[in-house]
Amino acid sequence: MRQDFIKFPLHLIVHPFDSFWDMKYEGKGKLRVTLTILLLVVISMILKNQFAGFLVNYNDPRHLNSITQLITVIFPFFLWCLSNWAITTLMDGEGKFKEIMMATGYALVPIVIIYTPMVVASRFMAEEETAFYYLMMSVASIWFIALLFVGIMTVHQYTVLKTVVTMLLTIVVMGIVVFLGTLVLSMIQQITEFFINIYRELIFRT
Amino acid sequence: MIAKKWLLAGTMASLLLSCAAPAPVNAEAVPYESYNYNYWEEAVPAPAAYIPDRTLTGKDLGVGDFLDPADMVVADSGLIYIVDSGNARIICLDSGWKVDKVITGFDNGGKAETFKNPSGLYVNDEGNLFVADTDNGRIVVLSPDGELLRLIEQPESDILPADFKFIPVKVTVDQAERVYVIAKGIFEGIMQFDENGVFIGYVGTNKVKRDYTEYIWRMFSTKAQKAQMALFVPTEFSNIDVDEKGFLYATNIDPGSKEPVKRLNPSGEDVLKRFGYFDVLGDIRYRISVGPSKFTDIKVLPDGMYSALDANQGKVFTYNDEGDLLYVYGGKGNQTGTFKTPAAIEYASGNQLVLDRGKGNIVVFKPTRFGSIVNEAVGYHYNGEDVQAVPVWREVLKLNANYDIAYIGIGKSLLMEKNNKEAMKYFKLGMDRDGYSVAFKRYRREVMQEHFGTFLTSVMLLVAVWVAYRIFGFWRRKRQSRASSQAPHNLKEGNAHEAGFH
Repeated sequence: MRQDFIKFPLHLIVHPFDSFWDMKYEGKGKLRVTLTILLLVVISMILKNQFAGFLVNYNDPRHLNSITQLITVIFPFFLWCLSNWAITTLMDGEGKFKEIMMATGYALVPIVIIYTPMVVASRFMAEEETAFYYLMMSVASIWFIALLFVGIMTVHQYTVLKTVVTMLLTIVVMGIVVFLGTLVLSMIQQITEFFINIYRELIFRT
Repeated sequence: MIAKKWLLAGTMASLLLSCAAPAPVNAEAVPYESYNYNYWEEAVPAPAAYIPDRTLTGKDLGVGDFLDPADMVVADSGLIYIVDSGNARIICLDSGWKVDKVITGFDNGGKAETFKNPSGLYVNDEGNLFVADTDNGRIVVLSPDGELLRLIEQPESDILPADFKFIPVKVTVDQAERVYVIAKGIFEGIMQFDENGVFIGYVGTNKVKRDYTEYIWRMFSTKAQKAQMALFVPTEFSNIDVDEKGFLYATNIDPGSKEPVKRLNPSGEDVLKRFGYFDVLGDIRYRISVGPSKFTDIKVLPDGMYSALDANQGKVFTYNDEGDLLYVYGGKGNQTGTFKTPAAIEYASGNQLVLDRGKGNIVVFKPTRFGSIVNEAVGYHYNGEDVQAVPVWREVLKLNANYDIAYIGIGKSLLMEKNNKEAMKYFKLGMDRDGYSVAFKRYRREVMQEHFGTFLTSVMLLVAVWVAYRIFGFWRRKRQSRASSQAPHNLKEGNAHEAGFH
């Protein structure tokens, strides 16, 4: 339990190359840990938006919604994994969908472990010190991207250049998926409306 | 039973009557919406700061209808001057709205001359009149009695083009008797003349804003197409006023500008304070079809406040010296208190006057209780009397609990009194992060100073406990190891004993 949930993720964020290798070939890392991390990211995002100090919190409290925040984390995560899986299947990636999900999920650990303490710290900061808050937030993001990069590279056994290209292509694919999704949704809506109209006509004519 | 019935009927009747009674007449009903913007850039309804008191037309004054009046000035002496452009005359009223005199012309060395479409006027401290005699291309300086003092005509300078034509529209004079003129077709800024009427140069040029789409579009155009395109020229100023320190307040009508109001120091730099939530540009939110605010006049009020007149929507925006929007009033329409083409705004003994060019009348606005106490509190702040401002701000908050500037004002005063925790609360209510930060830093230091002893004691205590624990552990381990090293020894000894016994 402790090995899975605490030790391995903490080891991974400082030794990404070894750990992602272990994850792929030694069977370390678990899907339920990934999901837990995802949940923790959502929670830390909510905490950040709701409870960060007044000097760094520019959110309108009337418009904060935890469900929206949940969706804005969960949806891009799965979209990323799906797009990455789709593009790497075509580009000789060795990673399975589960491995992509685990690599992405584990890469999110720095966000959890930096955001939450910084939210607490931001409540004790004056305006000049908020620069430190923003610095740490950037560190969290850069760390996440670096881990994601190493994770994708290891999981698919890619070279550096190919990883970069794949990641950029993944973002493009994410856009395409969203576009197709809205297209399909709008078409479904129109088709249902069409059938509802036919039904109505029939009801009124007979 | 009957008594009960009567009672019932009585209650019913009283209920009905109370419902049927007309709604209380709102004494301060105004034909426009009053609002202010909150931190989130939402227009929040607010009590009206000014209500229309009376309307005056030329007929009411007994001088015949105004025709396209373009400017109005209230002199320090209390005299009110109206430039009736279409009738080429200047009407002078005393403070009781009685016609003092009507100036239609002046005597120029024995020759009687008249104005031609005058559109700007300024009255200096001595009561001298500076008239922008637009279509005659000159500034006429008259004494209070209407005698000609001098003329400022077509300026001559190397920096002016050869075919330059001087068409003055608005005029202002500062304490050093320098004359500032806004002239038609001049994009370089405000023209500045010395006390003898010699052209000195320009002040306060509006910057040209680069429109990148236009820029790209230009790259693909032919020369003939380019010639037909709109030129990238700075916009003209629309009006000027001068405050008691000699700083010029100027407005321009550039629709895309973030800085339609400028405060120019003597060297021509913009020094307007913009410390409010948003830029000093009138309406933040507006309909696309209506467009942003277009300021045609500006009036500097006492205590660092200034009112800008938005001709596009007929509204008057009043700001304090820090650039916070204090209140908005006015609108377009035909009712009293709304305008058709507002042209000039003035201030006379607490009231605000707006000259409507389209309707040819003057509307007198008098402050409501809300307006006057806001002005009072702003005045206290401007003069550094923050403590006196607090009760006034609290009164403002009773009338409008959404008035953020009042919260900030109280916060600032509390900060002065070193009541940092309360100040933090008020700054937070007013969404003033800078003030909050200062208050918070002081409060944090206070708490630290108060609890530093306790904090240090507990740290020392923790260290002591930890050291004791380590020593105890060390001691126990030592004893254990001694015990374990002794055990076989004993055993041996025991064995020896046993051996000895045997």
